[in-house]
Amino acid sequence: MAWDKSAKSIQVKGEMEVYEYVYTAGKNGEEFFKALKDKKILGGRCEKCGRVFVPPKMFCEYCFGLLKLEEIKGKPIIDSFTVIYYDNDGKKLETPITVGFISFEGVEGGILAYVEGVPEIGKEVEILEYNIPLRVKVK
Amino acid sequence: MRKVGIIGAGLTLFRRRMLETPQELAYIAASRALDEAGLELKDIDCVVIGSAPDAFDGIHMKGEYLAKAGGERKMTSRVYVGGATGVMTAISAWYHVASGLCEKVLAIAEEKMSPARPHPQSVFKYIWDPITEKPLNPNLIWIFAMEMHRYMAKYGIKKEDIALVSVKNKRNAMNNPYAQAAANITVDDVLNSEVLVWPVNRLDVSPVSDGAAAMVLATEDIVRRYTDTPVWIEGVGWTLDNTSWPGRELAYPRYLENAARMAYKMAKIERPDKEIDVVEPYDPFDYKELHHLEGLMIAKKGEAPKLLKEGVFDIDGDIPSSPSGGLLGVGNPIAAAGLMKTISIYWQLKGTAGKMQVKKPVHTGVAQAWGDLMQAATVIVMRN
Repeated sequence: MAWDKSAKSIQVKGEMEVYEYVYTAGKNGEEFFKALKDKKILGGRCEKCGRVFVPPKMFCEYCFGLLKLEEIKGKPIIDSFTVIYYDNDGKKLETPITVGFISFEGVEGGILAYVEGVPEIGKEVEILEYNIPLRVKVK
Repeated sequence: MRKVGIIGAGLTLFRRRMLETPQELAYIAASRALDEAGLELKDIDCVVIGSAPDAFDGIHMKGEYLAKAGGERKMTSRVYVGGATGVMTAISAWYHVASGLCEKVLAIAEEKMSPARPHPQSVFKYIWDPITEKPLNPNLIWIFAMEMHRYMAKYGIKKEDIALVSVKNKRNAMNNPYAQAAANITVDDVLNSEVLVWPVNRLDVSPVSDGAAAMVLATEDIVRRYTDTPVWIEGVGWTLDNTSWPGRELAYPRYLENAARMAYKMAKIERPDKEIDVVEPYDPFDYKELHHLEGLMIAKKGEAPKLLKEGVFDIDGDIPSSPSGGLLGVGNPIAAAGLMKTISIYWQLKGTAGKMQVKKPVHTGVAQAWGDLMQAATVIVMRN
């Protein structure tokens, strides 16, 4: 074993590259993204057990029922949040970023969001921008 | 060990660039398998998930990701032995039951090859020895081309003899409702298709595919309760050969002979060429089906092409080979393709293969897959 950092060893450089990946959202996923553009949150209700999921996948992970799409009318609420002070390269951010997990009354799951205002768990938010992530403001 | 049987199986279409997410493909196959078994998700004790490299779907920890399709809140295992994974998924599900640990197990294999751009072949850039091989920037087709060439040179096999496999399998796939690359082609079509890496032409190779496959395995008393046409798993085998490909004889798949001997011993098969009625050897390339028929000891070394020409491996032949259409005809979503082959034999033995059903009565069937750095083999023997 060579531990001496000053020892001159042969070094072979390599890289692991795939040019890019192109992912699909699935059929319900496509509808979810289309609805976001119209400022609507779509969920999926399990035809077998009645659970509602956001975002909607094709199927219920509990009982394998198919999900039927429906608009979510429940209030958006901060389920949890965090404040980020450093970026992934270890550089201190000029303005800290608040990221929250937004859930909706009566549904399973939720959507990540950039949060404006003074966040608190359980507080209702107003959705300013319908996108992934959402941009929300604490009410 | 407990006796283990199969009571249900399901497939998705095999296609390039499916809209469904990998989790959704896994769900479709799994729910079809449960439907055929007459069970619901809540009846399942354990889910075994098989997928080849995460890099195909472009999601790391893909075993956990795919667990969404039935494995959450349950005992869940993932298996991975490269291209040999599909059959290993069934084998792993088998030992979950055989060991006495579980009663009813759902085995799911999924692969989505199409997200990686420009081509999923790039994923294989990372499997080479970084010092001695990577500087040449090899890809898998190169290496298979060298293996195919060794096979041809050692036994004096012609390209047109090998092309017959592609013709047969794509023709068989015409009867398979899940198939992506079914076609009536001729040997000349194969020989005249684009040369990718000599001696490998485009029609010697299976396509890029997305798809999933699933199977339900259970204990003997449950199998007898749920079906009048049981299919039993009677032998399993899996082995690795030398993990460095330049350290092996390329003309003969010793990795497979070792795995087959293990499975045959368990299933008490002494003369594979006489006792096996139908076979699904792993065929991502046409020469590999011949190679694997020899490794399975169904044909003598170098003699598979001769038997193929005589029609032995045709759908109405003595030992129909790849009646599903194989990877060449149905498609090659890697792990799903291996489990698809296992399911093909299960449906043949159950007598529910529909238009794919072989002409002769069948009692013993074998499915096989192959992978990693071309040295892993998995074999499963089933009987009705």
